[in-house]
Amino acid sequence: MVKLMDALTVERASGRRAEEARAQEAPIEAGKTVGNIIVDDPIFSCRDVDVFYGEKHAIRKVGIDIGRNSVLAMIGPSGCGKSTFLRCLNRMNDTIPNARVAGSILLDGKDIHDRKQDVVQLRARVGMVFQKPNPFPKSIYENVAYGPRIHGLAGDRVELDEIVHHSLQRAGLWEEVKDRLAQPGTSLSGGQQQRLCIARTIAVNPEVILMDEPCSALDPIATARIEDLMEELRQSYAIVIVTHSMQQAARVSQRTAYFHLGDLIEVGETDRIFTNPRHRLTEDYITGRFG
Amino acid sequence: MALSLEGHTTRAFDGDLSSLHLQAVAMGALVIEQVQLAVNAYSSWDRSIATLVLEREREINLYDAEIEAAALQLIARRQPMAQDLRAVFAIDKVVTELERAADEAKKLALAVLAESDASGFRPGAASAREARALGRVAAAMIRAALEAFDRLEPGAAASVVQQDEEMDAEYANALRRLLTHAMEDPRRLQATIEAAFIMRSLERIGDHARNIARHVRFIGGLDGAPTRVWPTSSSRADPTERDVL
Repeated sequence: MVKLMDALTVERASGRRAEEARAQEAPIEAGKTVGNIIVDDPIFSCRDVDVFYGEKHAIRKVGIDIGRNSVLAMIGPSGCGKSTFLRCLNRMNDTIPNARVAGSILLDGKDIHDRKQDVVQLRARVGMVFQKPNPFPKSIYENVAYGPRIHGLAGDRVELDEIVHHSLQRAGLWEEVKDRLAQPGTSLSGGQQQRLCIARTIAVNPEVILMDEPCSALDPIATARIEDLMEELRQSYAIVIVTHSMQQAARVSQRTAYFHLGDLIEVGETDRIFTNPRHRLTEDYITGRFG
Repeated sequence: MALSLEGHTTRAFDGDLSSLHLQAVAMGALVIEQVQLAVNAYSSWDRSIATLVLEREREINLYDAEIEAAALQLIARRQPMAQDLRAVFAIDKVVTELERAADEAKKLALAVLAESDASGFRPGAASAREARALGRVAAAMIRAALEAFDRLEPGAAASVVQQDEEMDAEYANALRRLLTHAMEDPRRLQATIEAAFIMRSLERIGDHARNIARHVRFIGGLDGAPTRVWPTSSSRADPTERDVL
């Protein structure tokens, strides 16, 4: 009986502890992310990243590692800073007047804001796929060949052909376009255009592929093809995807990061985030209780 | 900023979850009544009550099928996540436990209707006291488990565990007494064995209640914190408080 009472006391106490833990969640402190932000041998290691657009503090003290050969999904309501953070990773925010980035972002241990860092090189190593497919107004072949050519990756036409072939094949597009390489990229369907953009990105041998809602303009079948492709591509690259579809985040990623009003609230294994999130805000967002 | 807003942005989702929750609680209330009725039928060896138990069993099975179908629909249409997903998953399991508890209660009614003992000796007469004692604990355990399910308080589930200890003690007592009866008069052996099976059924109802408590904890998640997954809690007008007998 005494043993039983002890067990009950422990039970109540643990319930109380959990309640206290929940109560302590507010107010949010910048840089206090729930979950493990560290991974072994990260490709990107970001600490205390702040972004300002003029006076506006867009993201606050974001710290997270990005692992190799895995997909990191970033979710959160509009304006939460997930795209802003994504754009930090290949210094796309440099192109926005008034934008200022602070903190440390290391790619393979080297600061991407180093004065010696060539931004064009950086964007080849860290490629990006956008929400709306944006092929160049050129042929399918030229869309893929353009990057390798300006980066001098091919010695001659045969090598360039090889790169184009290989990239289109990896992007799962080769069979559909091999007989029409000279046609304009814009003649393809939306899903094909998006895969063409992925082929264009991987043609320059990136290490990381950033995707900003890559499927939001696509139908479910084209979406499924891109998701399937992501699973294949992660064998060779690290992928960071921003998505508004929680089901997509759950399907494609190994880790998930939840942003809220400029703060990185929670990071964790995707398996856990969607069944057992730790932070109430994450819970509220993924269960559709606000946002 | 408001930390926790009540309910889903999609209000129809609240309606779906709420209806699942209320249906499960209503089914639970029916099962409690069923246990009490079955014990009554058995201990007073009343064929008319036993027949009533069998009729109500169909109603319970219907609840089981309806709730399962509704849970499946909710998963397909809403793709619940996190606490919602755990809750729907748990509801399905809770309902299965309730249905099995009702199956055990049915066995008491079937024993009464079978009248298998040729010598005219009724197992119910030999073990009415034991059946009432075990039945009382079993019904109380289901009620406590349902309250825990309804209010989603992690502490509430603990009381079910406590009652399970009581159940074990009552069960051991009952078997001991039945054994004594059998030794006194070997002609009672068949009836005693039948009665022992009945005691076992009642004890199993307690096990189902304990499993329900486990599923309630699962809804709470890793840290076992109180959740507020039910959009409307029926705890104020407690449907399990109805008195049938």
